[in-house]
Amino acid sequence: MNSEPMDDQTPSESTGGGQPDVSYPLAVNGVRYPVSAPSGALLLDVIRDHVGLTGTKQGCDDCECGACMVLVDGRPVNSCSYLAAQAQGRAVTTVEGLAGAVDLSPLQQLLLDAGGVQCGFCTPGMLMSARALLDSNPEPSDEEVRIGLSGNLCRCTGYDTIVAAVLQAAEHIDATEV
Amino acid sequence: MNNPAAADTASYNAAPFTIADNVDTALAAMAAGARPIAGGTDLVVGARQGKSPLPTMLVAIDRVPGLAEVRVDEERVVLGSAVTHARLMTDEIVVGDYTALADAAALVGSPATRNVGTLGGNVMNGSPAMDTGAPLVVLGAMIELTSQNGVRLLSPAELWTGPGTTAATSDELCTACILPGRPERSGSAYVRLEYRRAMEIAVVGASASVRLDDSGHLEHLSVALTAVAPTIVEVHSLEELVGRPVDERLLTDVARIASSQAQPISDLRAGADYRSHTVGVMARRAVDAGARRAAGQHIAVPVNRAEGVGRTEQR
Amino acid sequence: MTDTVDTNPVDQSSGEASSSSQRHHRRFVRADGPDKVTGSGRYTADLQLAGMLHAKFLYAGVSSARIRSLDLEAARQVPGVLAVLSDADVPDVRYSPAVADRRLFARDVVRFEGEILAAVAATTVEAAEAAVAAINADLEPLEPVVDAEAALQEGSPLVHEDWASYEADEGVIRSGNTASFSSLSRGDAAGAMASAETVISSRYVADGCHAVPIEPRAVVAQWEGEKLTVWTSTQVPFDARAGICETLGLPTNRVRVVVPHLGGGFGGKCGFHFEAHIAALARAAKRPVKLVFSRAEEFLAPDRRREAMVVELTTGLDSDGKILARTGRLVLDGGAYLADKAFFPQLAAMQATGPYEIPNLDIEAHLAYTNHQPAGSVRAPTAPQGCWAVESHTDELAKAIDMDPVAFRRLNGLRSGSTGPVGQVYGDIGLQDCIDTAISALIPDGDPDDERAGDLAEDEAYGVAVGWWPSFSMPSGAYLKIDSDGKGQIITGAQECGTGAVMTMRQLAADEVGMDPEDFELVYQDTSAAPYDMGATGSQTLFNNGRAVMAAAAQVADQLRQLAADRLEASPTDIVLNDGQASVAGTPAASVPIAELAAEAAGGSLLLGHGSAAEVTYPTVTATCVGDQGMAAWLSPQFSCHAVKVRLDSDTGVARVVSVAAAHDSGRILNRTGALGQVHGGIMMGIGQALTEGTIYDEQGNQRNPMLLEYKLQTAADGPRISVDFIESYPGEGPAGAKGLAEAPNVATAAAVNSALAKLVGTPIRQMPMTAERIWEAMQTARDGDPYQGGSENGTEQQ
Repeated sequence: MNSEPMDDQTPSESTGGGQPDVSYPLAVNGVRYPVSAPSGALLLDVIRDHVGLTGTKQGCDDCECGACMVLVDGRPVNSCSYLAAQAQGRAVTTVEGLAGAVDLSPLQQLLLDAGGVQCGFCTPGMLMSARALLDSNPEPSDEEVRIGLSGNLCRCTGYDTIVAAVLQAAEHIDATEV
Repeated sequence: MNNPAAADTASYNAAPFTIADNVDTALAAMAAGARPIAGGTDLVVGARQGKSPLPTMLVAIDRVPGLAEVRVDEERVVLGSAVTHARLMTDEIVVGDYTALADAAALVGSPATRNVGTLGGNVMNGSPAMDTGAPLVVLGAMIELTSQNGVRLLSPAELWTGPGTTAATSDELCTACILPGRPERSGSAYVRLEYRRAMEIAVVGASASVRLDDSGHLEHLSVALTAVAPTIVEVHSLEELVGRPVDERLLTDVARIASSQAQPISDLRAGADYRSHTVGVMARRAVDAGARRAAGQHIAVPVNRAEGVGRTEQR
Repeated sequence: MTDTVDTNPVDQSSGEASSSSQRHHRRFVRADGPDKVTGSGRYTADLQLAGMLHAKFLYAGVSSARIRSLDLEAARQVPGVLAVLSDADVPDVRYSPAVADRRLFARDVVRFEGEILAAVAATTVEAAEAAVAAINADLEPLEPVVDAEAALQEGSPLVHEDWASYEADEGVIRSGNTASFSSLSRGDAAGAMASAETVISSRYVADGCHAVPIEPRAVVAQWEGEKLTVWTSTQVPFDARAGICETLGLPTNRVRVVVPHLGGGFGGKCGFHFEAHIAALARAAKRPVKLVFSRAEEFLAPDRRREAMVVELTTGLDSDGKILARTGRLVLDGGAYLADKAFFPQLAAMQATGPYEIPNLDIEAHLAYTNHQPAGSVRAPTAPQGCWAVESHTDELAKAIDMDPVAFRRLNGLRSGSTGPVGQVYGDIGLQDCIDTAISALIPDGDPDDERAGDLAEDEAYGVAVGWWPSFSMPSGAYLKIDSDGKGQIITGAQECGTGAVMTMRQLAADEVGMDPEDFELVYQDTSAAPYDMGATGSQTLFNNGRAVMAAAAQVADQLRQLAADRLEASPTDIVLNDGQASVAGTPAASVPIAELAAEAAGGSLLLGHGSAAEVTYPTVTATCVGDQGMAAWLSPQFSCHAVKVRLDSDTGVARVVSVAAAHDSGRILNRTGALGQVHGGIMMGIGQALTEGTIYDEQGNQRNPMLLEYKLQTAADGPRISVDFIESYPGEGPAGAKGLAEAPNVATAAAVNSALAKLVGTPIRQMPMTAERIWEAMQTARDGDPYQGGSENGTEQQ
């Protein structure tokens, strides 16, 4: 019996390899970056390794944890299962694009104040889902917030503080500013 | 080299990644060996899990305008294959007349998955656990496959040949799911078993399409089951139920018939006995919800989050 | 007052001033918060170094096999590969805390599927993967040991054939596949049982499960000459350093372990794991090397997972319903290596007693070697399963004598002055308060058995369980300095894994020196900068490092008082440090800003403090503790009661926890925001363990669900309404009366869920996780006969 690297249980960081490079500009947080990467390159890897923004996290291999959540044209996307090449011509927003030059966004501040940040690893993805939710539904119910954040796993907080912060963001601020 | 605004028809032969802005471009790329990609969720996750490497040539179809439309075509409704689950679960026509499909779309993955994942992607994945499959069966959908050689329409039963396999050839693009018009006093629903309230995959599921007669009795019933056979399967021998009122006795019969026709496997998600039992429960709930909708009662999408629909009397 | 999370994020008790009566009750500001919400905070996987290589491991992939040959030559020829290592390439060292049973790389045999055969470093991830694929490992399969109970039987194949030759701590009782054995005995259990009015026996079986921090682990190693720096996602940097030094033969002063932000741990990142593999690769390749785990690797490779456990208990009651005696036998599935868990059997035995007065006790606990992934400390090790079993058993006891289960707990539960099951005499403790508080918070009329109580629907029931957990006194150190501009730094060995425990140190220091917490920054998670701390483990950070920081700050406060006394011509003992000012008591006008004193000190003797946690004397116990690992005598014991409302879909067995009320005696609460976060998170983790989280193995001992789609954490959509109360009347021996906290909230939730399910189903669920399918099966069984009348296999037997 020959041993294998956990074959199908150990996912590859790549999507199979062998794809030729393609070049295109990628707009991330309002900045156009020239990208040259394999056609199968994941948006997550391009954001982290080519663009150089590491706020977007990798937490799983199968689109199940939400740590890699970014916005593409304002909609939440798991960047670990979305090809970077598909994002060309679209606007990508990462957690680095949320805050102002000096101040935190209201949602960021409310999340901190509520105790919704512990280890912080799910936080960027959680913020992006919350942002997308509030953009599309400025006055969500508790249940709508919970469903809206259900693709983002958090092991630390039990979610209540995060849900509370999003509800408060909806209540107290103009959703366009979150 | 891949300017989406100018997908040069001469260059796709060599292009590893083409963004198609019309169906012809997509078909030409596919004829040259490219695989279509819309949301990419299944394709990319599958590649990362080592199931099959990502194809070296891809054609993105999510920007082909016509494919992302829901349009009424005389009596029929045409759902473009690149319509997302997020669209399906909120689209007025789908929610109003093809509610089972909205129920199913609302249960797929997470908000992100629903925003990216498409009906065509779900259908062509051919998984017996796909959520939109059973609704398409009971709603009488036909799947439109288009290639440079023309268009053909397949029923779901013709399309899905086994777990993860379809009758489509590699140059055929799923361009639409075509739904026949809905008669008066009809309703539909999709219900699935879930161990948690989000981020689930169907352990079992069932969809029902119900038409009632003037007196509120069953005039037509179609039920299809998810994840209890190699493909989505339609329940047969339901004719005996026609003409009866939708009551506890009928729902019990629905559950019994559905359970008896399930041929589930045991896997890490559930044992065969439990699947056989619960698919009957899902079937009775789907029929109950579909009948209530047919009678004009509003049950919000998705039925799964409505408490008590189709629940048996407490024992 | 019950704390529920509402939309007002500001702590109601926050105060602007830091008068002594309000100390510790400021609004909590996380020093690492802005990093974490903006994405600027770096985690280990985010680090990039010039010339950095990427590491990949070759795993056994089978749970038990003999290594016939391992050919690395083809891997070394893969372009871009700079190092390929296996057992032959690292020092000949067997390691582990209590029993040296493990090597960095498998030698001769593999004992679980995640065992590392070889490691590769290459210029790209793809090259590293190609090299791993090119390794030719010829493995001869052996019969795996996959059942912990069977492993203890005569004639079972041995997981470690040479176990007797391993270097081991004397206190660890071992034999064959018994990796560690402990028992607790007190009084005459057999005699008392014979005289009991009612005797009930139960058996409960809990599957193993996982810690699942959202950050998969990562390691970066870089050599500069003979000095090694390792950045790693560990909860225990000093432990990781010790492991590197032991396995690679290095002195501690040439190894620096740095932890960037840590993306959660929950015990899964305790211990020493892959740091030495990566350091060895970096030395061989003469380049920095980085390892980043996939989620599957995070499930399969570490030796920290929650242990599967079989719990068999027999309890005898007298005619008043008082517990007379308990006997028990526990079998823990330890997996292939002992890791840190020599103490688990004794801790599990303590959980099997529960926080009850039990005069006669005889419990034995066996930790078995198997060919499963090794278990290790995951948040409150042994406790969620142990508590689930003993509390479900407790409900059976109450039901057998037709007593309200809450009344039964009030009658038998520990109270101030009680003698506990191992003979420890408790001082003032809050268990009874926890019961009263949790129940009244959840259930309007206070009777959890009243079917009409509150807003219970037909498919709902209440459940109640109590839990307990110790605090641990450990060595811990900190430095503190204030520089010329009056800004301070706390240099601490403590590790922040997200709980906020280290973040709280700013408050403790600020209170000592009369400054604002935000005047301090933290220097932490760097073994070469700070003194020792055990790390984010055992809920010990605030308990021990808090005292160290306060001691260091007290030294600086003394220095400030001396400087102020000189300036204000007063006695140092009359100087009050408050609000950034040093002033003479009773003469507020005579004051000087602390910043001015700091500037003065900067030109002289400097403001420098150092402190360590003073050792706290442990209480005594009277029980006979065979295989004593120091886990019977509980310092500053914590108590909890969780009351839950559960809804059951009786057609499918799908259960949902609708609401939870938790009451905790964890001593004084120093950081309410952080404390609430621990309880909320612990409850959700407990619900996951109760309902959906469990490892499923195939017959060969391989995990079938090492992915998040099939290993199901609770989502935001599943969250119940949670309310939390802290019983603060019984101070512990931590800083300012605190006890530990992070693990205790994870103890009682699953037990409370089963308490409710037993009412809805008609029988407790005897396997955990209590999946929908298992609940449905239990409903079928219950329908066929009353399980309380005994006879059902593996069930309750009334004698």
